[in-house]
Amino acid sequence: MTGAAPPEDAPAGHGPDGASDDGAPDDGAAAAFLASVMAEIDEEAHRRRRELPARLERELDELFLEHAPMGNRQGDMSAALRMVDASVFIDPVVPVASQRPAGAVVKKGLRSLNLWYIGYVTHQVSKFATAVSRSLHLVDGQLQELRRLVPPPSPVPVVAPGDATSWWRPIVLDALGSGDGRVLHAACGDGWLVRALQERGVDAYGVDPRPDAVERAELDGTDLRAEEPLPHLRSVESFSLAGAVLSGVVGGMGAGERAELVALVSDRLRSDGVLVLHSLTPAAWFDEGAPVEADLAPGRPLRPATWGHVLHGWAVETHLGPSADDYLVVARR
Amino acid sequence: MRVAFVTPRYGTEVMGGAETAARLLAEHLVSECGAEVEAYSTCALDHVTWRDELDPGESVLNGVRVHRFRSAGGRDRAFYELDGRLRLGPRHATRRESERWVELNGPVTPDLLEAVRGSGADVVAFYPYLYYPTVFGIGSVPMPSVLHPAAHDEPALYLPVFRTTYASADALCYHTVAERQLVQRLHAVAERPQIVLGLGVGDNAGAGRPGGEVLGIGDRPYIVSVGRVDDHKGSSMLAAFFRQYKARRPGPLALALVGPVATTIPPHPDVVVTGAVSEADKWDVVRDAQASVSASALESFSLVVLEAWVQGVPVVVNAACPPTREHCERSGGGLWFGSYRELEALLDRLLADPALRRELGRRGRAYVERHYRWPVLIRRYERFLETVVARGRRQPSPSVLAADPA
Repeated sequence: MTGAAPPEDAPAGHGPDGASDDGAPDDGAAAAFLASVMAEIDEEAHRRRRELPARLERELDELFLEHAPMGNRQGDMSAALRMVDASVFIDPVVPVASQRPAGAVVKKGLRSLNLWYIGYVTHQVSKFATAVSRSLHLVDGQLQELRRLVPPPSPVPVVAPGDATSWWRPIVLDALGSGDGRVLHAACGDGWLVRALQERGVDAYGVDPRPDAVERAELDGTDLRAEEPLPHLRSVESFSLAGAVLSGVVGGMGAGERAELVALVSDRLRSDGVLVLHSLTPAAWFDEGAPVEADLAPGRPLRPATWGHVLHGWAVETHLGPSADDYLVVARR
Repeated sequence: MRVAFVTPRYGTEVMGGAETAARLLAEHLVSECGAEVEAYSTCALDHVTWRDELDPGESVLNGVRVHRFRSAGGRDRAFYELDGRLRLGPRHATRRESERWVELNGPVTPDLLEAVRGSGADVVAFYPYLYYPTVFGIGSVPMPSVLHPAAHDEPALYLPVFRTTYASADALCYHTVAERQLVQRLHAVAERPQIVLGLGVGDNAGAGRPGGEVLGIGDRPYIVSVGRVDDHKGSSMLAAFFRQYKARRPGPLALALVGPVATTIPPHPDVVVTGAVSEADKWDVVRDAQASVSASALESFSLVVLEAWVQGVPVVVNAACPPTREHCERSGGGLWFGSYRELEALLDRLLADPALRRELGRRGRAYVERHYRWPVLIRRYERFLETVVARGRRQPSPSVLAADPA
């Protein structure tokens, strides 16, 4: 029987258990543990790749894919193409087995009578399906070539997102603390600003891309979610937000991401909506003491005045922090 | 707080993940939060025919007042022709076509919706997104509404009619993060108040009988798969993979398929198909298994996975099933396979390493304790409903409604 008590012996080849103070695994530790075990299993599965006859393995793979919805395969083009290839040939020779006496003979007779006709039709369909399959393989080849040429986008890091003691907290509360409507904070961390806004009667919620940043608050019932800010904004309804605070996320954005951000907030904020951006200054970003995430980011922060240009048509006010390391932009349309 | 649940089927006799989830949430709101809860449903037990099998009228089930209504229409024969056509390109269906799809799919329940509108509830929870009561009810109730989508990546999800369904929800309650990501990929609802809740799990309800005795296989080691034995749930695939595994790894290991049988599995000396079993037998069988396998790629939550972890049993899931894989990734309590070869390597490793099995089971159990024990979970849900009630009823924006082609 599988015991209920914690193990006395740790499994070979695994690191520390990663349990947090309350005994629950945290996502980071769980991920590391699983990555280690799954890597060993994947390696072993790879090593066995020619042990089964190729035809049997293909049949087993097709059986798996048959019950795996296309959308669940996380863009696995090769699996999708295998499914297409497996269904390209339309067999005109229908099975004739029957549970009734003489049923098979009747079916076989019908098949023989119709085979010239069905065969002609299925040949056309198979030809069409083959042409489609070839086209898809060409597209796949070109996509793979593109992937080799274009590096994958780096995730936008969260750099200095602020906390309850930040100098800009009162400015944000003044700018957003009186209106009605939904207000988003990204990256919200443990929800320090969301709660402060809620205490003022603001309908605030938050998202944060950092693993584990919001988990405890989620359990407490605050509306905080582990999500990337840009994908989140893509799924927000047009003109539905009264305000958006983006702290620690705009500094490292590349030009494309920043352009998309501006387009998204322009669409998602109401006409009286307020946009608040907090960022390190370029000087602080390149300072020796800057967080390592700054070096790894796809972009670099803008100077405060540049936001006035980027947010063309908005009324922009900027506030420089007391140490001149960071700044706040409050923008209204 | 007065809460109304709207679900197309309701009752202990109903087999179905979404309906069971609705009933469990309703019952626990009553028993642990003292809420006043009503359920509005049909007289149907079968989700294909929607035939009236239970008596209409009021009754009380485990503290929940249940209002049952006859269906004005079940699944129409014309449904299959339309479904076959629309599933080829669901995004391109017109709004009228997809509304027709919902009506033909059934159950058509105008009386039920009229009763919900006049119920006086503080908040209405609609569960799941797919059927007439939700589609035609969620935009028409005067009180705040919560949508529990229970969404899979299925062609119907892409039909235009559901844009209005999602846009009409004041708040959303998801089973998993994967479900939220799926819904948000298709619908602009990210700013709505929402919660990833899931379902609670009870304690081991076994009777203490050895699992091998229940299965009639004595002391043989076994892996178990609990749930409807159905081709769509991956049962045939799992049985075929297991037969192949045993051909390459002869030995005493058996596979137990535990649940009502919808698909015939070819007989094999190492595969035991039990049919429906009692709760006690189910828990006993799972407790003594080497691992619990969820082969289905179409789960929106999977209580079976969590019930295995309650007993410290490691789980193995289908890599193409985002919700069960999410459970494994977040907990560190289970492994996944995306081919026969991966399953073979995974089983070899798992069966040969008792310490790994214990570690996976321990992590899984800690995950359940943290997120999915009823007292914790139902308080989160209660707090969430209170915030939805406090925000009040919001209507979908005209821009969303205008986006639907006629």
